[in-house]
Amino acid sequence: MYGKGLRPLSIATVAALVAALSLVFFYVPLDADQGFIQKIFYLHVPLAIVALVGFVVGGVFAILHLRSGDSRWDAYSYVSIHMSVIFGVAVLITGSIWAKASWGHWWVWDEPTLVSFLIVFLMYATYYPFRYAIEDRERQARYASVFAITAGAFVPLNFMAVRMAESLVHPRTFGTANGGLPGEMMFTFLISLVAIGLLWTTLVKFELTAKSASGQLKRLRRALDVPTPGGSSRVAPEVS
Amino acid sequence: MLSLLLAATPALPLDEAGKYVAGAYIVFLALIVVYVAIMAAKLQRIERELRELAGFAESRANGDQAAPGRGSEEQSISDSFAPHGAEEAAPYE
Repeated sequence: MYGKGLRPLSIATVAALVAALSLVFFYVPLDADQGFIQKIFYLHVPLAIVALVGFVVGGVFAILHLRSGDSRWDAYSYVSIHMSVIFGVAVLITGSIWAKASWGHWWVWDEPTLVSFLIVFLMYATYYPFRYAIEDRERQARYASVFAITAGAFVPLNFMAVRMAESLVHPRTFGTANGGLPGEMMFTFLISLVAIGLLWTTLVKFELTAKSASGQLKRLRRALDVPTPGGSSRVAPEVS
Repeated sequence: MLSLLLAATPALPLDEAGKYVAGAYIVFLALIVVYVAIMAAKLQRIERELRELAGFAESRANGDQAAPGRGSEEQSISDSFAPHGAEEAAPYE
């Protein structure tokens, strides 16, 4: 029953997104330094935070999979990573747009924050070929879990290393000696973070529901002794 | 109502900066739309296969050896509107 609670969750997500966008464009004051361009902050930063947390969550699900051997956790891990990779694409594109508007370049190679996120993203991009290269489903799930745990542990380490490194152009907004965000900006940012977090959760649940339906369909085919059209998919884990 | 909203809205600087901000938000929206479209295609495939299986099961129950894929869309839709547990209550033919 992966679809249980999907409707209220979707409604809450839409409401939170509408609230966040309304606050961004009609409530929060313009930034004194960057002006209107700073509005990208309320999309780009929550996307980055949620994507990175999603990668760690994928690692936690992978631990649960290895501990219990339950393939359900493997599916959770796969879907969490999958969704975070999609969010990662959005982070890279919105970040590049902001960089172009603010610094005049689409990408700055000597900036640790940008390059470290790209490394994390590319590392998780290898998750798919790594997973698909293994035919045996059980081995595939086990190896993918080991990957998800290792990569998931790398994410906070990488984040801490970047925080300790000297930033050249990328701003440090939170927890710095130079002061944080003013109240209105912080409030808007937190609402945006909640909205993007809810969106991630809804899409993960949506994908799991679709996978569950697909798995049930295959069970039904087996029970009725009907061959699966096009052979069995070895791409994504199934849930039933 | 709309005029009140527009009056309360600050003047958005839709110059150079506005294009970039709009671009970032449109990219985000486009990604979500593409994802939903892919999921919709998957859902359509599941529905098609389910209809095919329903037709196959019906033909098997009737002792008919016809090829699967006979389940009609209208039948599936009307069945989906039946209240939960209706199939137990209805006499099996």
